[in-house]
Amino acid sequence: MRGVRDRNTKRRQMIELENVSKTYGGQTALCNISLKVERGDMAFVTGPSGAGKTTLFKLLYLAEKPDEGTITIAGCNAADLKSSSIPLLRRNIGVVFQDFKLLNNKTVYDNIALTLRIRGFMEREIKERVHSVLKMVNLRHKVDNYPLTLSGGEQQRITIARSIVGEPTVMLADEPTGNLDEENEKDIMRIFKQINTKGTTILIATHNRALFENTARKVFFLDGGILKGEEE
Amino acid sequence: MFSLRLALQSVIKEMWMSLLSMLSIGVMLFILVAVAVIVYNVEKLTARLPERLTVMVILKEGVTSEENKAVQAAIKAEPAVKAVTFVSKEKALDELKKSLKKDDFILKGFAENPLFDSFDVKIKSEGVHIDEVKRLIQKIKSMKGVDDVEYGEMLMDSMYALKSGMRALGLSIGIVFVCSVTFICYTTVKILFYRHKEEIEVYKLLGATRWFVRAPFFIEGSIIGILGGVLGSGMLMGFYYYFLRKLVADIPMFTFMSIPLQFLYVLPAVGMFLGLGGSVLALGRLKY
Repeated sequence: MRGVRDRNTKRRQMIELENVSKTYGGQTALCNISLKVERGDMAFVTGPSGAGKTTLFKLLYLAEKPDEGTITIAGCNAADLKSSSIPLLRRNIGVVFQDFKLLNNKTVYDNIALTLRIRGFMEREIKERVHSVLKMVNLRHKVDNYPLTLSGGEQQRITIARSIVGEPTVMLADEPTGNLDEENEKDIMRIFKQINTKGTTILIATHNRALFENTARKVFFLDGGILKGEEE
Repeated sequence: MFSLRLALQSVIKEMWMSLLSMLSIGVMLFILVAVAVIVYNVEKLTARLPERLTVMVILKEGVTSEENKAVQAAIKAEPAVKAVTFVSKEKALDELKKSLKKDDFILKGFAENPLFDSFDVKIKSEGVHIDEVKRLIQKIKSMKGVDDVEYGEMLMDSMYALKSGMRALGLSIGIVFVCSVTFICYTTVKILFYRHKEEIEVYKLLGATRWFVRAPFFIEGSIIGILGGVLGSGMLMGFYYYFLRKLVADIPMFTFMSIPLQFLYVLPAVGMFLGLGGSVLALGRLKY
């Protein structure tokens, strides 16, 4: 019975870190971190600058490997993955960056469509999906614009649209409202909640307490690479 | 299709760099093919040398008619021999007189005919290698009744030295230019790759495979190679129409020269192959 319960618990975890540590040239970025985010949850990671939030995210989207510990994301143990399988896992993870990482020489449409072209979708389906996500982030009228002609808030919404168009099971957002005003901040959070209600697990890194206060969401406190606490 | 589109967009966007690479490749392939044309023509010329060769078999003094017939039959039986004609020393003298014309007084100093009976041996026009001719001559020399064999040995040896020299030169130039073309494609693709590094980072984050990232660069290298080859073919056509044809028309010595037109089709294919090779080398050791 206990084994069955453990297996069910494992299945419920969408993100799981066990005793994960990472150092850069002798400098500890993360030390013995263990955390779990369940399927369909929206959780936050917070802490001051240099706390290790970005390192944690780099480990989660497999841009870096941990020195110690195990990472399980979207049901896959990162250590067991061959390098050729990493792109396939990344297709299950939508990532949103503070600096957007949009391609400025491509239109909004092409930026979002890129996610689907990489997966080999047909142009007809790409068109349908891109218009659908643009509607969700209220930017259908900007489909032919180039990123640099958009405001910061609009660019971030395009980044979110790009990350959700492939319908990932997990979404990671690193300081998604970092450069935005209060109005845009609310707008972005509204979109995240909307995505979350559709079943996508979301982990947001932020130093802005206003984003998670009074939300009854799980919050992980990082400081100096150490997990100081967990609140719900 | 998306990779092809990205590659074409990049070729157009980086037009000057692409043009410069294509031009360099075109010029190199043209020089390469020009050397190949020279080697081809020297080969063609030397291949026809045995057919133009007249071998004169000088018979010993006092050879009987039976011995004479036996030598003729033995020579005729050789597979490389097309025809054997007996030239008596009297006929040879008549021919010499005819060729000397007014200067035939030279021969008046001789009390008797100083010439010998001989055979003129014609070699077959096709499929006879020069080594076979040399072997035949040695064999004839060893026949009973044969005093000596004369043929254009000096000319033949110099032509064959020229042939092997051109082959070696062609091969060396070929290797150098093939490496150069590959290096141009290698450098171009590497520069393009670094220029697109940020874009590639985004591709990776969105789940692009190694192949998806690399394919546009492979295609781009191939396109630059093909277009370089097309330019080289254009230069070759220009060389043929504006130089070689006039040269052949004006100086009969060069009438044997020709350019195999297959080179026109082969050059773009060679360009594509080298372009693709350069791209593979450029991206081969990169992490992505």
